[in-house]
Amino acid sequence: MADKPLILAVDHNRRNLELMSQFLGQEGYEIIAAASLEEFDQVLGKQADIKLALVDIAGFDRSVWERCERLRAENIPFIIISPRQSAAIQQAGLAHGARGVLVKPLAVKELLGLIRSLLGE
Amino acid sequence: MSEKRLPTGIPGLDEVLQGGFIPGRAYLARGGPGTGKTTLGLHFLTAGAANGEKALFITLGEPEAMIRQNAERMGFDLSNVAFLDLSPTPEFFAQVETYDIFSPAEVEREPTTRKIVEQVEKLQPSRVFIDAMTQFRYLAADPFQYRKQVLSFLRFLVERGTTVLFTSEGSAEAPDADLQFLSDGVIDLEYAPEGRILAVTKFRGSDFLSGRHSMRLGERGMEVFPRLVPEVYRREFALEVISSGVPELDELLHGGLERGTITIITGPSGVGKTTLGLQFMKEAAGRGERSVVYTFEEGVETLVGRCEAINIPVHAMMERGTLEVVKVEPLRYTPDEFARLVRREVEEEGSHIVMIDSIAGYRLSLRGEDLVSHLHALCKYLSNMGVTTLLINEVEYITGEFRATEVGISYLADNIIFLRFLEMRGELHKAIGVLKKRLSDFEKTLREFQITRYGVKVGAPLTGLRGILSGTPELIE
Repeated sequence: MADKPLILAVDHNRRNLELMSQFLGQEGYEIIAAASLEEFDQVLGKQADIKLALVDIAGFDRSVWERCERLRAENIPFIIISPRQSAAIQQAGLAHGARGVLVKPLAVKELLGLIRSLLGE
Repeated sequence: MSEKRLPTGIPGLDEVLQGGFIPGRAYLARGGPGTGKTTLGLHFLTAGAANGEKALFITLGEPEAMIRQNAERMGFDLSNVAFLDLSPTPEFFAQVETYDIFSPAEVEREPTTRKIVEQVEKLQPSRVFIDAMTQFRYLAADPFQYRKQVLSFLRFLVERGTTVLFTSEGSAEAPDADLQFLSDGVIDLEYAPEGRILAVTKFRGSDFLSGRHSMRLGERGMEVFPRLVPEVYRREFALEVISSGVPELDELLHGGLERGTITIITGPSGVGKTTLGLQFMKEAAGRGERSVVYTFEEGVETLVGRCEAINIPVHAMMERGTLEVVKVEPLRYTPDEFARLVRREVEEEGSHIVMIDSIAGYRLSLRGEDLVSHLHALCKYLSNMGVTTLLINEVEYITGEFRATEVGISYLADNIIFLRFLEMRGELHKAIGVLKKRLSDFEKTLREFQITRYGVKVGAPLTGLRGILSGTPELIE
């Protein structure tokens, strides 16, 4: 089987990470999960072939945006997942290089469509 | 009935549904909390399991262990009933983190559906009970999806030949009208002030007994008492006259009382109405016929003692099975339940005379409203079955101007016999007379009526009196 595209999922909530791994795994993606900023840093330090990142900002402080800048610097496209509809979050997300901002709860089909288009499939 | 019906496990409900459910259809049982939806489902499943059918209980609320425990207490045998427990486990609560990234509809629907499909395909059940279908509402993104899912779920089951019973927890906030539309039949369960009620509001492809039927949830599960519809029952019987055993009384009645007629015996307290009724029963017992007395006021012992003292051998009659005395406790039964008791006595025990002692007792002791029409239905039923019915009616006034009955039910009666006190020459006497007799002529005079220790005695016609109905007759000079 061909290499599965690697997706980085960042979420403070481990149950959310499990579900994302499960849903995206079914669709043929490989998931690497990070539940804290430390884990996020570790992954960014080690993994080079991340094709896409999904960042749920709920539970993180403002320093999450620094990591987003790092993603931008490494040319990894990423999507911000926001706990609520908020113009401020949307603005901040796009300002730090996000390709899009999604509001929870996500519709699985919509998320998959967005991932596919960002991966150029 | 030509088509095959599936018994529900509740005889009364089968009667309401005219045989039971139509196989391969989906039925809805709806009602508030504690109205017996799950109990109905247990009857439905165990009736199938006892028949060797495969039965599956899909629970989305109550855990399996709890259902089994409650069912056992009510005497259900669930050993052949399979369970699919989709209720949340305690671990679910203990999980500190619940997800919020996807909606519950997206996360839970698929595993739930898969479990159901797996179980149904493995078991191939012929009866499925789903408790409660409304839980699926939370697994659907919107009402349209919900309706579509429920419909296709039901189709999935029904196309396998399964008969489905599902419940809904309908409330003002979450109406279940959609479920009612897409089911093949709807059973409404209700806890009304006058007692528990079962009503069928929809039954595709069949007639059913309409109206609100009494229902009882007891130690043995659910019992349904269909509303009595007298026209349904008819029995061939000889149009003969039954004698009272007292020649003078028979003369007064021009032979006696006909079978299948309703007689009101009316009079003030203590005049001997019950005794007069029992006199007919004593004579019937001599012919080997069974009678039954429903006493609403007097205890069985007092009635027996009283009758023994006046040469009516109630004790011996009861021993030989030609008499049954039933004390009806106040507020114990609804009229439908009482009608069921009477029906059993008539259809299974073959009673020929039924006495209700008294009409006022009936009205006071049974729960519910509109008792006169229930009594009417019961009497019509008895009449259709060829049973001689005696209704005891007590009038409030011991003497004074004459009134036949007080509750506006004289229209029910084919015959009215009245007893009353008379004052003659400074002494208290009792008199008996007939006011109405539909099927034959009768004596228009009064006769003296006495209750002695040798039994009921009726004298020669009292002639030469006037003002009899006023209670203080005078001799015509």
